[in-house]
This record gives sequence, structure tokens and C-alpha cells, in this order.
Amino acid sequence: MTGIGTAVDIALNSLVLGGVFLIVAIGLNIVYGLSRIMNLAHGSLYAIGAYAGYTLVATGLNFFVALLITPIIVGFLGLILERTVIAPMRKRSMLYTLILTYGLMYFLDGVIKQTWGNEPRFIELPNFMRDTLSILGTHYPVFRLVTLGITAAVMIALMLFLNKTRLGIILRASSTIPEMVSCLGFNMNYVHIGAFVFGCALAGVAGIIAGPLTTIDPLMGHEMLISSFVVIVIGGLGSLRGAVFAAILIGVVQTLAEFFITDLAMVIVYMMMAIILAFKPRGLLGEGKFE
Amino acid sequence: MNALTTVSVDHPSTSPIKIIGFVTLILALALLPFVWDNRFYISLITQIMIYGLLAMSLDVLLGYTGLLSFMHNAYLGIGAYIVGLFLIHVSQSSLWLACLVGVIATAAVALPVGWVQVRTGGLAFALLTLAFGMMFHTIVWKWYSVTGGDDGLMGVPSPDIHVFGWTIGNTGDPTHIYLLTLFVVSFCFILTRRIIRSPFGAVLEAIRENEERAAFVGINVRRFKLYGWMLACILAAISGALFILYKGYIGPSTMTAFAGAGVLMMVLLGGMGTLRGPLIGAGIFIYIQDYITTMTEHWEIYLGLVVIFLVLFMPTGFVGLGSYLKRLRGN
Repeated sequence: MTGIGTAVDIALNSLVLGGVFLIVAIGLNIVYGLSRIMNLAHGSLYAIGAYAGYTLVATGLNFFVALLITPIIVGFLGLILERTVIAPMRKRSMLYTLILTYGLMYFLDGVIKQTWGNEPRFIELPNFMRDTLSILGTHYPVFRLVTLGITAAVMIALMLFLNKTRLGIILRASSTIPEMVSCLGFNMNYVHIGAFVFGCALAGVAGIIAGPLTTIDPLMGHEMLISSFVVIVIGGLGSLRGAVFAAILIGVVQTLAEFFITDLAMVIVYMMMAIILAFKPRGLLGEGKFE
Repeated sequence: MNALTTVSVDHPSTSPIKIIGFVTLILALALLPFVWDNRFYISLITQIMIYGLLAMSLDVLLGYTGLLSFMHNAYLGIGAYIVGLFLIHVSQSSLWLACLVGVIATAAVALPVGWVQVRTGGLAFALLTLAFGMMFHTIVWKWYSVTGGDDGLMGVPSPDIHVFGWTIGNTGDPTHIYLLTLFVVSFCFILTRRIIRSPFGAVLEAIRENEERAAFVGINVRRFKLYGWMLACILAAISGALFILYKGYIGPSTMTAFAGAGVLMMVLLGGMGTLRGPLIGAGIFIYIQDYITTMTEHWEIYLGLVVIFLVLFMPTGFVGLGSYLKRLRGN
């Protein structure tokens, strides 16, 4: 493989990785921005998305159909969780919310292990996605390019939704001045429920597209949870623009670190988060919202 | 520091009954291994006391300073690894020197981490503890040549316990390590209680209650948060030293986020903001864990459910249960 080929490889891998981080992180960020709830079980919902996708594809469903059904399943699970345990936490202190969702994370992990076991799983891809495409001296897997396309589509749809539709504008207004939105006659309760369900659905999407990139195992959610924290902290809590920026940055840093020093790659990423959080607590773009 | 004199400390002085009760309890526990020759339970109680000390140190942070650390077990791990490495590579017999080195080295690691962490508060602090904890876990797990990687640190020698030149036991003996743990943990408990009930403790509670107001009365919030953090980490390092002496082994699984959740659970079970609560919580938790793992391998489900239940319905833990029920009935 040529030098340029390796560079292209690393660049594309960074974008694919950053894209998955972004979808998970945006879900976490929307819930935090609207309800001030930091959901530590988000990584487990992502893992459930991956397992649900695996099961759907294994029963013979087309990958793209599974891609549409998975977010609905995970979103519905999110609705159940919101109504039972998350909603009572809205008026409680941040500390209790963190501890509760930490417990929820272990509960969901236990359920995953009980249902699917500890062995790693793989999502069977349609034939055309298993090929490679040669780009600038490297043979790049088609599936990764499809992942990149899906990520871009999700992001564009999200931006259009938030900026162009009436509902999106209500959501954005609620994240800045919830009292005012409430006074204008919108039911904030629905906004909170909607945000949580939507966040969970995004985690589900990320899960199924990440499934074929990595192996699916019960611990996949933990790593992703930490990575998406790193993304939203570096981008600024609640800031969507910042998250996009940070996701690409972390994608690049992690891919490069894994390429050059392999084992201790994650140490670099954690260090970076610590340093940025310590000196720029509102994120690199300075748009973060902290309680 | 003028602010310290104006903060009133509303803790009543300890009643003689409580002191007598405490001394009786310690004496009873000290006599236990001589009247009840059950190695399994003596060993289990040692483990409970070690984790109780760790949970108590987390409570100094969570219950008194209002800062959440998800992975306080990382500092138990660091302390244990350093004591273990010292015993293996430097000196096989110097127990106290090894413990001293372990505690000081852990404090040296915790200081820069704390310095970075206290720049933030609340959520950001909690997320940072997770990031640093994961970092330490990764280092311990991957640095095979020093820590033994996944296999853990094996073959840690068990030194004799010397006091003023006399040899009074060996840490390899379950009864001796039990008595040593009992002594160290009760000493740490009394010391921490004194510290928490001093004006210094009142400052920490003021920061927990209202950081802004604490700053307005002239308290350097960041500095006191750092003191609280260091106190908690030093106590955790002591528990780590006891841990390695008791087990003779430590692996990276002790330093995972999952184990960190366990410590948090102990504090919650017992009750935040009461030093004796976490010790009781550790007892309940380790006993239940021991019991459940023999019944099912999917015990995360139950751990998770218990945490959710506690936060939703019993935020004051077992220690506060009585007054909580009273208040409910009052309403």
C-alpha cells in the first residue's frame, strides 16, 4: 500500500469513527440540552440498537429495513424508560440523576447479557456492501462508505429538522428559555418525552451502523459512552455545532493514536478531554451549558 | 481563613453512650476471631472493612463535599499496586514503609488529577473522574511489563507486622490481617470523624450546600474542594494498602467502572453524609453480592434494579431510613 493510500485510509476511518461518535453524542446532547438529564445508560441503548439490528438481520430482514426498524424499537424502549424512571428525576438533583442512570446502565447491560449472551456477534451484510472500492491507491470497504453516507444523511436531516420545521424551532427555543415556550402554550412535558425518545432512537441508529464496523459484545456500550462524553464535553455540553466539530476531531485523534501507539490510544483521548475540560469547561467553541 | 471562625458547627458533642457503644463494638469485633473459628466469615468481614473504608472515603467526597466520583476504586487500585510493587521489588519485609510509600505515591498521583478536576464542579467533575479512572484502568491493563496486565500483580509477599521492634503477626494469616484491618479502619474512622466535625468539615458542607455563598463568605472553594479530594484519595490509598496485604493479589478488574459502581452503591445503601453509613452499606453490599453471585451470573440486573430503587424511593439509605419514614408519616 502506498503512503497516500495509508493517508486516505486513515482519513476515511477517522470520518467513519467520528460519524458514529457524532450520532451517539448528538442523542446524548439533545436530551441534556432540553431536560438537563445526563443519561449514562445511553451507551447501553446503543448496544441494544446493535443487538436489535443483529437479530433483525439474522431473521432474514434486509439491512436497510432493519436500519429503519431498529430506531423505532430503541425509541419505544426509551419511551418506557422515560415514563417509568427518568421523568421522576427531572426535579431531583443532578447527582441523583447520574446515579440512577448509572444503575440503569447496569440493568440494561445485564438484560443484554441475559438475552444475547457474552459471545461476540456479527451483522451479516448484503453482498454488494462486502466489496471494496479502490480510492487513491487503497481498497476501501464499501460498507464504511455507506456508513459515512448514512451519518451524513442523518446529520443533514437533523439540521433541516431543527432549523426549518416548526417543531424543530420549538425544540431549540425550549433548550434556551423553557419557561417562555411553556408560557406560549406548548406542553413542556411532551418536549421532554420527545427529546428522550428521539435521543434513544439516534443511539439505536448508531448501534446498527456501528455493528458491522466492530464486533458486537455486551461491553461495546461502555466504550461508546465514554467516547461520546469526550465528544460532547470537548464540543461543549448541549452545543450541536460543537459536537460535530469535536466528533471529527476525536475521530482523527483516536484513529491516529491507534495507528501509531495502538495499546494506549485511549489514554491520549482521555487526557485530551481532561485538559480541555479543565481549561475550557464550556468546550472548544465556548457554547456549552453547565448547570 | 477568617471565614472558618464564623461558620458555626452544629454537630453536638459525642455522647458517652455512643463512645461506649463504639468501643464495645470494636472490642467485640477484635475478640471475634478467637471465639468463632470460621475462616470464611473472618475473611469476608476483613473484605467488608476494607471496602467500608473505601466507601467512607467516597462519602467524604460525595456526602460532605457534594462531589461525585464514579471511579473512586481507581485510587484503591493505585495504592494497592504501588504497595504490591514495593513489596515485590524493593523490600519484602518493610510493611509500614511500603504502606507509607503507597499512600504518598497515590497522593502524588491524585494531586494533579484533583487540581484539574476542582476547576469544574457538578456534572463536569463527575465526568472527569470517569475519564481519569478509565485512563488509570487502561494504563494498568496495558502496561504488561510492570503491572502484569490482565493477569494482575501476582506473588506479592506477606510481610510480618512489626510494632516498636516486636513482631506481632504476619499479614498472610487471616486472623492477623483481620486485626490489622480492624485497627486501621477504626483509626481512620475516628480520624475522619474528627476532621469532618472540625471547622474544616463545616467548610466542606458549606460548599456542598451552596458553592456561591461559600465563595461569598471568603472561602476559597477550589482549594477546599482539593483538600476534600486529597483526604478522600489518601483514605482510598490506605484501603488499597490493606487490600493488597489481605489478598496478596490485585488485577485490573478491581479498577473497572463496574467496580466503581459497587462502591457508589455501598455509599447509597448505607446513606450519604453519614460516615458510619458507608461502612454498613459495604457490609450489606458485599454480603448480598456474595449471596447473589452464587445464585445467578447475571447479577448486574439486580445491582441496577437496587440502585434505581434506592434513588427513587430511599435516597437517604438505611441509616436515614428511620427519620425518612417518620417524615413521610408526618406529611
